[in-house]
Amino acid sequence: MPPVVVAESLTKRFGEVLAVDDLSFEIDSGTITGFLGPNGAGKTTTLRMLLGLAAPTKGHALVFDRAYGELEYPALRIGAVLEATDFHPGRSGRDHLRMLGQSVGVPDSRADEVLALVELRDASRRRVKGYSLGMRQRLGLAAALLGDPELLVLDEPANGLDPEGVRWLRDFLRRFASEGRTVLISSHVLAEVAQTVDQVLIVSHGRFIVESSLEELTARVSGVVRVRSGDSPRLAAALIAESLKPTKSDEHTLLVPGATSARVGDIAFAAGVAVHELATEGSSLEEIFLQLTSDEQS
Amino acid sequence: MIAQIKAELLKVRSTRTTAGLLLGMVALILLFVLLTGLLSSVASLSSAENQRQLLSIGALAGVFSALAGVLLVTSEYRYGTIRPTILFTPSRSRVIGAKVLAATLAGVGFGIVGEALGWAIGYAILSGRGITFALNSGDCVQLALGGLAGIALWGAMGAGLGTLLRNQVGGVITLLAWGFVVSPLLFGLVPSVGRFMPSYAQDSLIGLTTNHLLPPAAGGIVLVAWTALLASAGLALTARRDVT
Ligand SMILES: Nc1ncnc2c1ncn2[C@@H]1O[C@H](COP(=O)(O)OP(=O)(O)O)[C@@H](O)[C@H]1O
Ligand SMILES: [Mg+2]
Repeated sequence: MPPVVVAESLTKRFGEVLAVDDLSFEIDSGTITGFLGPNGAGKTTTLRMLLGLAAPTKGHALVFDRAYGELEYPALRIGAVLEATDFHPGRSGRDHLRMLGQSVGVPDSRADEVLALVELRDASRRRVKGYSLGMRQRLGLAAALLGDPELLVLDEPANGLDPEGVRWLRDFLRRFASEGRTVLISSHVLAEVAQTVDQVLIVSHGRFIVESSLEELTARVSGVVRVRSGDSPRLAAALIAESLKPTKSDEHTLLVPGATSARVGDIAFAAGVAVHELATEGSSLEEIFLQLTSDEQS
Repeated sequence: MIAQIKAELLKVRSTRTTAGLLLGMVALILLFVLLTGLLSSVASLSSAENQRQLLSIGALAGVFSALAGVLLVTSEYRYGTIRPTILFTPSRSRVIGAKVLAATLAGVGFGIVGEALGWAIGYAILSGRGITFALNSGDCVQLALGGLAGIALWGAMGAGLGTLLRNQVGGVITLLAWGFVVSPLLFGLVPSVGRFMPSYAQDSLIGLTTNHLLPPAAGGIVLVAWTALLASAGLALTARRDVT
């Protein structure tokens, strides 16, 4: 099956700022891809080019083999939410969906369907003014789902959601992808999407720094074990004998990359070295993410 | 395109903005017709030209029709709904074209209400005060239908202006300043240029005989030209600009 999304040398310059710098990537159908990077990395700009809202300075992006704007009724194949707050406050949620649906021939009954899907049925005839942020987010999602799309593109969907909302979204996206559909979500917080995505694209300053599956990413930086002991030199020798590469942090502390605390503890025990402190550092995805993106910046 | 126009008309109907504009329009027309009709002397109201002035007050609906047009476009930028709108309909020309047409249709609505009100009250005052009606049926048709056409075109011009400016407050202020400050000043100082301003073109279209006005047909053509100019300039800009 051909990839659902193809970007080739996608580039966007705003005056002096090179917001997106020569990005090329593909996204296969049935996957959930996390598009990650710190604020200002160029995620939103990339998505805007993908969705035909902004013209690339160079390169191009295709969805289902065509430029977004050249698809007949793109909203029937691609659902997208760029901002969680794109509503007229004086219009009801239902009318918001109806007006979008009518422009592409989607019947009003479909608006009611997606309202039920995002659990907004009771509020649907109230004006958006009175919606909470979570409700607005779900209304945005409902708009994206109106056309029963095969690809869902969400920019920072977890922003401002409470933990329950994040969980709801995760379950929803999993279900969506399990039907063979494709999801592309951006975030500047890895933890928000780590439990949802199959693969990650990490950008910083408009360029990719990592493009891999989540397992690869986790394995690649499997953490650094910090061990404080009564006899650092002896422990270091024992670790080296187990082909680990400890480095000295201070007189009593060693840092051991690529190991688990259990393994380091076992080696210390076997070597007869008393362990005073044993901890895994930098192993959370968040720390990995920060480390990767700050490396890029320095 | 029909579907897009339907969607745009739903946008017009689904907020309270339109109702508010209609209400304001009714109040303003009522006020002006009553003031003019009741405060002018019987002698003055007996002249055909002054009766025409009285019965043309309904054309004030053009202001509200134009405001509705400006708001139909600028509120999309103000509230960000332009993003989903363009995602659903990436063709900028289809979106802008539908907005211009929907604003024209909404303008017909404003025009019918405004003209009917202006005529009903104006005519009631004339007959109530026992003044002989001095206009022939040709004058009346020109006054009413010319007014309606002008009001509808004001809707389209408003949408075009909104597309050009995008900013809601800026669009409203520009419209009002253009109609109520710049045009009258220009007409007062340089009538040969001022008469090409849309409000004076509309005056000539409905048959007012103020000095320096264009002939009625020319007035109609000038109004259509303004509409085409604003809409196509707005479209050209929108096609080149990113949606942010
Ligand atoms: N319309 C614009 N005009 C000028 N600069 C912009 C515009 N949009 C984005 N930028 C700049 O491009 C860079 C990338 O922004 P963005 O794509 O929004 O990043 P992200 O979504 O990853 O936070 C930032 O430096 C931002 O300031
Ligand atoms: Mg962003």
